[in-house]
Amino acid sequence: MGDAALRYAGVSVGYHGRPVLTHVDLELRAGQRLALVGPNGAGKSTLIRSVLGLAQVLDGAVTVLGRSPAAARGLAGYVPQNDVPDAGFPVSARQVVLMGRYRRIGWWRPTRPADRRAVAEALDRVGLADRAGHRFGTLSGGQRQRVLLARAIVAEPRLLLLDEPFNGVDAVSQEAIVRVLRDLTGAGTALVLSTHDLTVARELADLVCLLNGRQWAVGPPAETLTAEPLRRAYGGQAIDGPGGRLVLIEP
Amino acid sequence: MIEPFTVPFMARALAEIALLALICGPVSVFVLVRGLAFVSDALTHTVFPGVVIGFLAGGLDGLFLGALVAGVVTAVALTVLTRAGGLSDDAATAVVLTAMFSIGVVLVSRRSSYTSDLTSFLFGRLLTVTPRQLAETAVLAVVILVALLIGARAMLFRAFDPVGATAAGFRIGRLDLWLNLLVALVVVAAVRAVGTILVVALLIVPAAAARLVTGRLAGMAALGTVLTVVAGYAGLLASWHASVRYGTALTPASAVVLLLVLAYLALLPVRLRRSGRRAGAPPTTERNSAHELVG
Repeated sequence: MGDAALRYAGVSVGYHGRPVLTHVDLELRAGQRLALVGPNGAGKSTLIRSVLGLAQVLDGAVTVLGRSPAAARGLAGYVPQNDVPDAGFPVSARQVVLMGRYRRIGWWRPTRPADRRAVAEALDRVGLADRAGHRFGTLSGGQRQRVLLARAIVAEPRLLLLDEPFNGVDAVSQEAIVRVLRDLTGAGTALVLSTHDLTVARELADLVCLLNGRQWAVGPPAETLTAEPLRRAYGGQAIDGPGGRLVLIEP
Repeated sequence: MIEPFTVPFMARALAEIALLALICGPVSVFVLVRGLAFVSDALTHTVFPGVVIGFLAGGLDGLFLGALVAGVVTAVALTVLTRAGGLSDDAATAVVLTAMFSIGVVLVSRRSSYTSDLTSFLFGRLLTVTPRQLAETAVLAVVILVALLIGARAMLFRAFDPVGATAAGFRIGRLDLWLNLLVALVVVAAVRAVGTILVVALLIVPAAAARLVTGRLAGMAALGTVLTVVAGYAGLLASWHASVRYGTALTPASAVVLLLVLAYLALLPVRLRRSGRRAGAPPTTERNSAHELVG
Protein backbone atom coordinates (compact mmCIF):
# COMPACT_ATOMS: atom_id res chain seq x y z
CA MET A 1 0.00 0.00 0.00
CA GLY A 2 1.54 3.26 -1.09
CA ASP A 3 -0.74 5.62 0.78
CA ALA A 4 0.38 4.82 4.32
CA ALA A 5 0.88 7.97 6.38
CA LEU A 6 3.40 6.15 8.51
CA ARG A 7 5.19 2.84 8.13
CA TYR A 8 7.75 1.29 10.49
CA ALA A 9 9.30 -2.02 9.47
CA GLY A 10 11.57 -3.73 12.02
CA VAL A 11 12.72 -0.41 13.41
CA SER A 12 15.03 0.43 16.30
CA VAL A 13 15.34 4.09 17.29
CA GLY A 14 17.56 5.87 19.79
CA TYR A 15 20.18 8.52 20.36
CA HIS A 16 23.96 8.57 19.85
CA GLY A 17 23.89 4.99 18.55
CA ARG A 18 22.15 3.62 21.66
CA PRO A 19 18.69 2.14 21.09
CA VAL A 20 15.81 3.39 23.23
CA LEU A 21 13.05 1.50 21.48
CA THR A 22 13.27 -1.64 19.34
CA HIS A 23 11.09 -4.01 17.29
CA VAL A 24 8.71 -1.33 16.02
CA ASP A 25 6.43 -2.61 13.26
CA LEU A 26 3.37 -0.59 12.46
CA GLU A 27 1.41 1.03 9.69
CA LEU A 28 -0.91 4.00 9.93
CA ARG A 29 -3.25 5.05 7.14
CA ALA A 30 -4.87 8.41 6.42
CA GLY A 31 -7.66 9.22 8.86
CA GLN A 32 -6.51 6.68 11.48
CA ARG A 33 -5.74 7.50 15.11
CA LEU A 34 -2.78 5.74 16.71
CA ALA A 35 -2.15 5.91 20.45
CA LEU A 36 1.33 5.16 21.78
CA VAL A 37 0.82 3.68 25.23
CA GLY A 38 3.43 2.80 27.82
CA PRO A 39 4.90 3.83 31.17
CA ASN A 40 7.22 6.81 31.62
CA GLY A 41 10.50 6.23 29.81
CA ALA A 42 8.93 3.64 27.50
CA GLY A 43 10.15 5.44 24.37
CA LYS A 44 6.90 7.15 23.33
CA SER A 45 8.49 10.55 22.81
CA THR A 46 11.44 8.95 21.07
CA LEU A 47 9.12 7.26 18.60
CA ILE A 48 7.41 10.59 17.88
CA ARG A 49 10.78 12.28 17.49
CA SER A 50 11.88 9.58 15.07
CA VAL A 51 8.90 10.44 12.86
CA LEU A 52 10.25 13.99 12.74
CA GLY A 53 13.77 12.79 12.02
CA LEU A 54 14.96 14.00 15.43
CA ALA A 55 15.86 10.56 16.78
CA GLN A 56 18.22 8.14 15.07
CA VAL A 57 16.79 5.20 13.15
CA LEU A 58 19.34 2.50 14.03
CA ASP A 59 17.71 -0.38 12.23
CA GLY A 60 14.83 -1.07 9.85
CA ALA A 61 12.95 1.29 7.54
CA VAL A 62 10.80 4.31 8.37
CA THR A 63 8.52 5.93 5.82
CA VAL A 64 6.64 9.14 6.65
CA LEU A 65 4.07 10.23 4.07
CA GLY A 66 5.91 8.22 1.46
CA ARG A 67 9.40 9.62 2.15
CA SER A 68 12.21 9.62 4.71
CA PRO A 69 11.52 11.35 8.05
CA ALA A 70 13.91 14.22 7.34
CA ALA A 71 12.35 14.81 3.92
CA ALA A 72 8.86 14.78 5.43
CA ARG A 73 9.64 17.62 7.85
CA GLY A 74 7.18 20.43 7.39
CA LEU A 75 4.52 18.02 6.14
CA ALA A 76 3.87 16.46 9.53
CA GLY A 77 2.40 18.66 12.26
CA TYR A 78 3.84 18.46 15.76
CA VAL A 79 2.27 19.46 19.08
CA PRO A 80 4.85 19.44 21.89
CA GLN A 81 4.00 18.90 25.55
CA ASN A 82 2.62 22.17 26.81
CA ASP A 83 5.34 22.56 29.41
CA VAL A 84 8.08 22.70 26.81
CA PRO A 85 7.97 26.27 25.48
CA ASP A 86 9.13 29.00 27.85
CA ALA A 87 6.13 30.38 29.74
CA GLY A 88 7.70 33.83 30.07
CA PHE A 89 8.24 34.18 26.33
CA PRO A 90 6.82 37.49 25.09
CA VAL A 91 4.40 36.22 22.43
CA SER A 92 0.62 36.27 22.23
CA ALA A 93 -1.50 33.18 21.55
CA ARG A 94 -2.15 34.59 18.08
CA GLN A 95 1.58 34.91 17.36
CA VAL A 96 2.19 31.33 18.46
CA VAL A 97 -0.52 30.03 16.11
CA LEU A 98 0.85 32.14 13.26
CA MET A 99 4.16 30.28 13.62
CA GLY A 100 2.38 27.32 12.03
CA ARG A 101 2.09 29.39 8.85
CA TYR A 102 5.67 30.65 8.73
CA ARG A 103 6.86 28.04 6.24
CA ARG A 104 3.98 28.80 3.96
CA ILE A 105 4.43 32.56 4.21
CA GLY A 106 8.10 32.28 3.28
CA TRP A 107 11.09 34.42 4.17
CA TRP A 108 10.37 37.60 2.26
CA ARG A 109 6.63 38.06 2.18
CA PRO A 110 4.61 39.80 4.86
CA THR A 111 1.72 38.02 6.57
CA ARG A 112 -1.30 37.91 4.26
CA PRO A 113 -4.98 38.27 5.18
CA ALA A 114 -5.47 34.56 4.36
CA ASP A 115 -2.88 33.68 7.02
CA ARG A 116 -4.56 35.89 9.61
CA ARG A 117 -7.92 34.33 8.75
CA ALA A 118 -6.52 30.82 9.12
CA VAL A 119 -5.08 31.76 12.53
CA ALA A 120 -8.41 33.22 13.70
CA GLU A 121 -10.28 30.15 12.50
CA ALA A 122 -7.86 27.75 14.19
CA LEU A 123 -8.14 29.63 17.49
CA ASP A 124 -11.89 29.56 17.15
CA ARG A 125 -11.81 25.83 16.47
CA VAL A 126 -9.98 25.13 19.72
CA GLY A 127 -12.35 27.50 21.54
CA LEU A 128 -9.85 30.25 22.28
CA ALA A 129 -10.94 33.02 19.91
CA ASP A 130 -11.33 35.35 22.90
CA ARG A 131 -7.77 34.69 24.10
CA ALA A 132 -5.97 35.55 20.85
CA GLY A 133 -4.28 38.63 22.29
CA HIS A 134 -3.31 37.08 25.62
CA ARG A 135 0.30 36.29 26.30
CA PHE A 136 0.94 32.59 25.80
CA GLY A 137 2.60 32.19 29.19
CA THR A 138 -0.40 33.60 31.07
CA LEU A 139 -2.77 30.91 29.73
CA SER A 140 -3.54 27.74 31.68
CA GLY A 141 -1.83 24.47 30.78
CA GLY A 142 -4.89 23.26 28.88
CA GLN A 143 -5.24 26.51 27.00
CA ARG A 144 -1.56 26.47 26.07
CA GLN A 145 -2.00 22.95 24.75
CA ARG A 146 -4.96 24.11 22.66
CA VAL A 147 -2.93 27.02 21.25
CA LEU A 148 -0.16 24.60 20.27
CA LEU A 149 -2.77 22.38 18.63
CA ALA A 150 -4.09 25.39 16.71
CA ARG A 151 -0.52 26.12 15.59
CA ALA A 152 -0.31 22.62 14.14
CA ILE A 153 -3.74 22.87 12.47
CA VAL A 154 -2.99 26.07 10.51
CA ALA A 155 -0.23 24.23 8.65
CA GLU A 156 -2.88 21.74 7.42
CA PRO A 157 -0.72 18.66 8.04
CA ARG A 158 -1.58 15.22 6.63
CA LEU A 159 0.00 13.63 9.69
CA LEU A 160 -0.32 15.11 13.17
CA LEU A 161 1.88 14.09 16.11
CA LEU A 162 0.96 14.95 19.69
CA ASP A 163 3.24 14.30 22.66
CA GLU A 164 1.14 13.66 25.81
CA PRO A 165 -1.54 16.16 24.75
CA PHE A 166 -3.65 15.57 27.87
CA ASN A 167 -0.93 15.98 30.49
CA GLY A 168 -1.93 18.62 33.03
CA VAL A 169 -4.93 19.55 30.93
CA ASP A 170 -8.33 20.50 32.40
CA ALA A 171 -11.54 18.72 31.39
CA VAL A 172 -12.79 21.55 29.18
CA SER A 173 -9.55 21.65 27.24
CA GLN A 174 -9.41 17.86 26.94
CA GLU A 175 -12.91 17.83 25.51
CA ALA A 176 -12.06 20.60 23.04
CA ILE A 177 -8.86 18.82 21.96
CA VAL A 178 -10.61 15.46 21.49
CA ARG A 179 -13.33 17.12 19.39
CA VAL A 180 -10.79 18.80 17.12
CA LEU A 181 -8.78 15.59 16.76
CA ARG A 182 -11.89 13.66 15.71
CA ASP A 183 -12.74 16.37 13.16
CA LEU A 184 -9.25 16.25 11.72
CA THR A 185 -9.13 12.49 11.31
CA GLY A 186 -12.63 12.61 9.84
CA ALA A 187 -11.17 14.86 7.15
CA GLY A 188 -8.34 12.40 6.44
CA THR A 189 -5.49 13.50 8.72
CA ALA A 190 -3.55 10.63 10.27
CA LEU A 191 -2.94 11.02 13.99
CA VAL A 192 -0.29 9.80 16.41
CA LEU A 193 -0.55 10.65 20.08
CA SER A 194 1.39 9.43 23.07
CA THR A 195 -0.39 8.91 26.37
CA HIS A 196 -0.15 6.90 29.54
CA ASP A 197 -3.90 7.28 30.05
CA LEU A 198 -5.51 4.00 28.98
CA THR A 199 -9.01 5.48 29.07
CA VAL A 200 -8.08 8.14 26.55
CA ALA A 201 -6.42 5.56 24.34
CA ARG A 202 -9.42 3.27 24.51
CA GLU A 203 -11.90 6.03 23.62
CA LEU A 204 -9.93 7.86 21.00
CA ALA A 205 -7.67 5.45 19.15
CA ASP A 206 -8.30 3.09 16.25
CA LEU A 207 -4.89 1.57 16.84
CA VAL A 208 -2.88 1.19 20.00
CA CYS A 209 0.83 0.53 20.13
CA LEU A 210 2.05 -0.80 23.47
CA LEU A 211 5.62 0.26 24.16
CA ASN A 212 8.19 -0.28 26.86
CA GLY A 213 11.72 -0.36 25.51
CA ARG A 214 10.32 -2.30 22.59
CA GLN A 215 7.00 -2.68 20.86
CA TRP A 216 4.96 -5.27 22.74
CA ALA A 217 1.71 -5.17 20.80
CA VAL A 218 -0.07 -3.22 18.10
CA GLY A 219 -3.71 -3.40 17.09
CA PRO A 220 -7.20 -2.17 17.93
CA PRO A 221 -7.76 -1.17 21.60
CA ALA A 222 -10.01 -4.18 22.16
CA GLU A 223 -7.08 -6.49 21.43
CA THR A 224 -4.17 -4.53 22.88
CA LEU A 225 -5.56 -2.91 26.02
CA THR A 226 -6.33 -6.22 27.63
CA ALA A 227 -4.71 -7.93 30.59
CA GLU A 228 -2.22 -10.17 28.79
CA PRO A 229 -0.54 -7.62 26.45
CA LEU A 230 -0.55 -4.98 29.19
CA ARG A 231 1.09 -7.38 31.62
CA ARG A 232 3.80 -8.10 29.08
CA ALA A 233 4.42 -4.42 28.29
CA TYR A 234 4.33 -3.12 31.86
CA GLY A 235 6.14 -6.09 33.42
CA GLY A 236 6.46 -5.65 37.17
CA GLN A 237 4.47 -2.45 37.02
CA ALA A 238 1.30 -4.43 36.32
CA ILE A 239 -0.19 -6.14 39.33
CA ASP A 240 -3.45 -7.98 39.87
CA GLY A 241 -5.86 -5.85 41.84
CA PRO A 242 -9.06 -6.80 43.65
CA GLY A 243 -11.82 -8.32 41.55
CA GLY A 244 -9.45 -9.64 38.90
CA ARG A 245 -8.66 -6.12 37.65
CA LEU A 246 -5.22 -5.27 36.36
CA VAL A 247 -3.63 -2.29 38.10
CA LEU A 248 -0.79 -0.38 36.44
CA ILE A 249 1.63 1.35 38.75
CA GLU A 250 3.44 4.46 37.54
CA PRO A 251 6.68 4.95 39.45
CA MET B 1 19.81 71.46 25.28
CA ILE B 2 20.26 71.64 21.51
CA GLU B 3 23.20 74.03 21.35
CA PRO B 4 26.04 71.56 22.01
CA PHE B 5 24.85 69.52 19.04
CA THR B 6 25.41 72.42 16.63
CA VAL B 7 29.10 71.58 16.99
CA PRO B 8 29.84 69.11 14.16
CA PHE B 9 31.60 66.44 16.20
CA MET B 10 28.75 66.39 18.71
CA ALA B 11 26.17 66.14 15.92
CA ARG B 12 28.09 63.22 14.40
CA ALA B 13 28.32 61.49 17.76
CA LEU B 14 24.57 61.81 18.23
CA ALA B 15 23.90 60.56 14.70
CA GLU B 16 26.17 57.55 15.35
CA ILE B 17 24.37 56.72 18.57
CA ALA B 18 20.99 57.08 16.83
CA LEU B 19 22.06 54.66 14.09
CA LEU B 20 23.32 52.19 16.66
CA ALA B 21 20.07 52.56 18.60
CA LEU B 22 18.12 51.73 15.45
CA ILE B 23 19.85 48.34 15.16
CA CYS B 24 20.37 47.60 18.83
CA GLY B 25 16.67 47.96 19.71
CA PRO B 26 15.51 45.09 17.44
CA VAL B 27 18.65 42.95 17.71
CA SER B 28 18.63 43.12 21.51
CA VAL B 29 15.10 41.71 21.49
CA PHE B 30 16.40 38.57 19.79
CA VAL B 31 19.42 38.43 22.08
CA LEU B 32 16.94 38.48 24.97
CA VAL B 33 14.47 35.87 23.71
CA ARG B 34 17.27 33.53 22.61
CA GLY B 35 19.08 33.98 25.91
CA LEU B 36 22.25 35.04 24.10
CA ALA B 37 23.48 37.61 26.63
CA PHE B 38 26.61 35.61 27.39
CA VAL B 39 27.27 34.77 23.74
CA SER B 40 26.98 38.48 22.93
CA ASP B 41 29.45 39.26 25.69
CA ALA B 42 31.80 36.67 24.22
CA LEU B 43 31.46 38.16 20.75
CA THR B 44 32.35 41.62 22.00
CA HIS B 45 35.48 40.22 23.62
CA THR B 46 36.53 38.05 20.71
CA VAL B 47 36.30 40.99 18.31
CA PHE B 48 38.94 42.70 20.45
CA PRO B 49 42.05 40.94 19.02
CA GLY B 50 40.68 41.56 15.51
CA VAL B 51 40.40 45.24 16.31
CA VAL B 52 43.97 45.32 17.63
CA ILE B 53 45.44 43.41 14.68
CA GLY B 54 43.50 45.60 12.26
CA PHE B 55 44.79 48.72 13.98
CA LEU B 56 48.39 47.52 14.03
CA ALA B 57 48.21 46.62 10.35
CA GLY B 58 46.29 49.51 8.92
CA GLY B 59 45.62 52.16 11.55
CA LEU B 60 42.08 53.37 12.13
CA ASP B 61 40.91 52.10 8.73
CA GLY B 62 42.26 48.62 9.41
CA LEU B 63 40.38 48.56 12.69
CA PHE B 64 37.04 48.17 10.95
CA LEU B 65 38.20 45.33 8.70
CA GLY B 66 39.91 43.58 11.61
CA ALA B 67 36.73 43.74 13.66
CA LEU B 68 34.67 42.44 10.75
CA VAL B 69 36.92 39.43 10.14
CA ALA B 70 37.19 38.59 13.84
CA GLY B 71 33.44 39.02 14.31
CA VAL B 72 32.52 36.68 11.45
CA VAL B 73 35.09 34.06 12.43
CA THR B 74 33.99 33.97 16.07
CA ALA B 75 30.29 33.93 15.15
CA VAL B 76 30.94 30.78 13.13
CA ALA B 77 33.20 29.29 15.80
CA LEU B 78 30.69 29.94 18.57
CA THR B 79 27.84 28.44 16.55
CA VAL B 80 29.85 25.30 15.84
CA LEU B 81 31.19 24.99 19.40
CA THR B 82 27.83 25.42 21.09
CA ARG B 83 26.11 23.00 18.73
CA ALA B 84 28.60 20.22 18.16
CA GLY B 85 30.97 20.55 21.10
CA GLY B 86 30.94 18.15 23.99
CA LEU B 87 31.34 21.21 26.21
CA SER B 88 28.31 22.93 27.63
CA ASP B 89 27.34 26.18 25.92
CA ASP B 90 28.69 28.34 28.69
CA ALA B 91 32.00 26.53 29.02
CA ALA B 92 32.68 26.61 25.27
CA THR B 93 31.78 30.27 25.10
CA ALA B 94 33.95 31.14 28.07
CA VAL B 95 36.94 29.31 26.58
CA VAL B 96 36.67 31.25 23.32
CA LEU B 97 36.05 34.54 25.14
CA THR B 98 39.05 34.43 27.45
CA ALA B 99 41.44 33.02 24.86
CA MET B 100 40.67 35.68 22.27
CA PHE B 101 40.61 38.52 24.76
CA SER B 102 44.01 37.65 26.16
CA ILE B 103 45.45 37.47 22.64
CA GLY B 104 44.18 41.01 22.15
CA VAL B 105 45.77 42.22 25.38
CA VAL B 106 49.09 40.56 24.52
CA LEU B 107 49.11 42.30 21.14
CA VAL B 108 48.20 45.68 22.59
CA SER B 109 50.82 45.45 25.32
CA ARG B 110 53.56 45.28 22.67
CA ARG B 111 52.76 48.85 21.67
CA SER B 112 54.44 51.82 23.28
CA SER B 113 51.21 53.80 23.60
CA TYR B 114 49.67 50.86 25.42
CA THR B 115 47.33 52.69 27.80
CA SER B 116 45.68 55.12 25.42
CA ASP B 117 45.27 52.48 22.72
CA LEU B 118 43.75 50.02 25.12
CA THR B 119 41.34 52.62 26.46
CA SER B 120 40.12 53.55 23.00
CA PHE B 121 39.62 49.90 22.00
CA LEU B 122 37.79 49.04 25.17
CA PHE B 123 35.70 52.19 25.57
CA GLY B 124 35.58 53.65 22.07
CA ARG B 125 35.89 57.21 20.81
CA LEU B 126 32.42 58.53 20.33
CA LEU B 127 33.51 62.14 19.86
CA THR B 128 35.92 61.46 17.00
CA VAL B 129 33.41 59.73 14.73
CA THR B 130 34.19 60.73 11.15
CA PRO B 131 31.65 61.24 8.33
CA ARG B 132 33.07 58.12 6.68
CA GLN B 133 32.60 56.13 9.85
CA LEU B 134 29.01 57.35 10.00
CA ALA B 135 28.43 56.19 6.44
CA GLU B 136 29.88 52.76 7.25
CA THR B 137 27.65 52.45 10.28
CA ALA B 138 24.64 53.42 8.15
CA VAL B 139 25.44 50.74 5.55
CA LEU B 140 25.90 48.13 8.26
CA ALA B 141 22.64 49.23 9.88
CA VAL B 142 20.75 48.66 6.64
CA VAL B 143 22.38 45.24 6.13
CA ILE B 144 21.64 44.19 9.71
CA LEU B 145 18.03 45.36 9.69
CA VAL B 146 17.23 43.74 6.34
CA ALA B 147 18.83 40.44 7.40
CA LEU B 148 16.99 40.59 10.70
CA LEU B 149 13.67 41.30 9.00
CA ILE B 150 14.06 38.33 6.66
CA GLY B 151 15.01 35.91 9.42
CA ALA B 152 12.87 37.37 12.21
CA ARG B 153 9.93 34.98 11.95
CA ALA B 154 12.04 31.84 11.75
CA MET B 155 14.33 33.02 14.55
CA LEU B 156 11.32 33.79 16.72
CA PHE B 157 9.92 30.30 16.12
CA ARG B 158 13.32 28.76 16.87
CA ALA B 159 13.66 30.77 20.09
CA PHE B 160 10.17 29.83 21.26
CA ASP B 161 10.15 26.14 20.42
CA PRO B 162 13.28 24.66 18.80
CA VAL B 163 11.80 21.19 18.31
CA GLY B 164 8.60 22.63 16.84
CA ALA B 165 10.64 24.79 14.48
CA THR B 166 12.71 21.80 13.36
CA ALA B 167 9.53 19.78 12.85
CA ALA B 168 8.19 22.62 10.71
CA GLY B 169 11.26 22.27 8.49
CA PHE B 170 13.51 25.09 9.72
CA ARG B 171 17.28 24.49 9.92
CA ILE B 172 18.13 25.42 13.48
CA GLY B 173 21.90 25.49 12.92
CA ARG B 174 21.62 28.00 10.11
CA LEU B 175 19.25 30.21 12.08
CA ASP B 176 21.67 30.22 15.03
CA LEU B 177 24.56 31.14 12.76
CA TRP B 178 22.41 33.86 11.19
CA LEU B 179 21.69 35.50 14.54
CA ASN B 180 25.27 35.13 15.80
CA LEU B 181 26.50 36.82 12.61
CA LEU B 182 24.02 39.65 13.13
CA VAL B 183 25.22 40.15 16.69
CA ALA B 184 28.81 40.13 15.40
CA LEU B 185 27.92 42.78 12.82
CA VAL B 186 26.35 44.97 15.50
CA VAL B 187 29.57 44.68 17.50
CA VAL B 188 31.57 45.63 14.41
CA ALA B 189 29.31 48.61 13.74
CA ALA B 190 29.53 49.86 17.32
CA VAL B 191 33.07 48.97 18.32
CA ARG B 192 34.83 52.16 17.19
CA ALA B 193 32.29 54.45 18.81
CA VAL B 194 31.59 52.71 22.11
CA GLY B 195 34.37 50.11 22.37
CA THR B 196 34.36 46.36 22.83
CA ILE B 197 33.35 46.41 26.49
CA LEU B 198 30.45 48.82 26.37
CA VAL B 199 28.86 47.52 23.18
CA VAL B 200 27.54 44.54 25.12
CA ALA B 201 25.37 46.96 27.07
CA LEU B 202 23.76 48.11 23.82
CA LEU B 203 23.01 44.48 22.93
CA ILE B 204 21.35 43.59 26.20
CA VAL B 205 20.00 46.59 28.09
CA PRO B 206 17.58 48.11 25.51
CA ALA B 207 15.36 45.01 25.28
CA ALA B 208 15.83 44.12 28.93
CA ALA B 209 14.61 47.58 29.95
CA ALA B 210 11.76 47.62 27.41
CA ARG B 211 10.71 44.16 28.56
CA LEU B 212 9.87 45.64 31.95
CA VAL B 213 7.19 47.79 30.35
CA THR B 214 5.79 45.77 27.46
CA GLY B 215 5.34 42.11 26.58
CA ARG B 216 5.04 42.77 22.86
CA LEU B 217 8.06 42.07 20.67
CA ALA B 218 7.56 45.00 18.29
CA GLY B 219 6.95 47.29 21.26
CA MET B 220 10.13 46.06 22.89
CA ALA B 221 12.17 46.75 19.76
CA ALA B 222 10.71 50.26 19.38
CA LEU B 223 11.01 51.18 23.04
CA GLY B 224 14.53 49.77 23.20
CA THR B 225 15.52 52.04 20.32
CA VAL B 226 13.89 55.10 21.88
CA LEU B 227 15.55 54.45 25.24
CA THR B 228 18.95 54.15 23.57
CA VAL B 229 18.49 57.38 21.62
CA VAL B 230 17.40 59.24 24.76
CA ALA B 231 20.30 57.79 26.76
CA GLY B 232 22.64 58.72 23.88
CA TYR B 233 21.39 62.30 23.77
CA ALA B 234 21.47 62.75 27.54
CA GLY B 235 24.85 61.01 27.88
CA LEU B 236 26.47 63.22 25.27
CA LEU B 237 24.93 66.30 26.85
CA ALA B 238 26.18 65.29 30.28
CA SER B 239 29.67 64.66 29.01
CA TRP B 240 29.68 68.00 27.15
CA HIS B 241 28.66 69.97 30.21
CA ALA B 242 31.00 68.05 32.47
CA SER B 243 33.87 68.99 30.21
CA VAL B 244 32.91 72.57 29.18
CA ARG B 245 31.48 73.80 32.48
CA TYR B 246 33.31 71.80 35.10
CA GLY B 247 36.44 70.77 33.29
CA THR B 248 36.07 67.10 34.21
CA ALA B 249 36.46 64.35 31.66
CA LEU B 250 33.42 62.09 31.33
CA THR B 251 33.78 59.43 28.64
CA PRO B 252 30.63 59.94 26.57
CA ALA B 253 30.16 56.26 25.78
CA SER B 254 30.22 55.31 29.45
CA ALA B 255 27.81 58.15 30.23
CA VAL B 256 25.45 56.75 27.58
CA VAL B 257 25.65 53.25 28.98
CA LEU B 258 25.22 54.48 32.56
CA LEU B 259 22.06 56.32 31.57
CA LEU B 260 20.77 53.26 29.74
CA VAL B 261 21.28 51.18 32.85
CA LEU B 262 19.61 53.92 34.90
CA ALA B 263 16.60 53.69 32.57
CA TYR B 264 16.49 49.97 33.28
CA LEU B 265 16.57 50.56 37.02
CA ALA B 266 13.94 53.30 36.74
CA LEU B 267 11.62 50.92 34.89
CA LEU B 268 12.05 48.06 37.37
CA PRO B 269 9.26 49.32 39.68
CA VAL B 270 6.86 49.26 36.72
CA ARG B 271 7.48 45.56 36.35
CA LEU B 272 7.24 44.90 40.06
CA ARG B 273 3.91 46.73 40.24
CA ARG B 274 2.57 44.76 37.26
CA SER B 275 3.60 41.40 38.65
CA GLY B 276 2.17 42.47 42.02
CA ARG B 277 -1.19 43.06 40.37
CA ARG B 278 -1.01 39.65 38.79
CA ALA B 279 -0.22 37.93 42.06
CA GLY B 280 -3.73 36.46 42.21
CA ALA B 281 -3.41 34.89 38.79
CA PRO B 282 -2.43 31.22 38.44
CA PRO B 283 1.32 30.74 38.60
CA THR B 284 3.07 30.09 35.32
CA THR B 285 5.26 27.04 35.12
CA GLU B 286 8.96 27.67 34.95
CA ARG B 287 10.92 26.39 32.04
CA ASN B 288 12.25 22.94 32.83
CA SER B 289 15.10 21.14 31.16
CA ALA B 290 15.19 21.73 27.42
CA HIS B 291 13.41 18.63 26.31
CA GLU B 292 12.82 15.15 27.49
CA LEU B 293 14.76 12.73 25.39
CA VAL B 294 13.15 9.55 26.55
CA GLY B 295 9.63 8.96 27.69
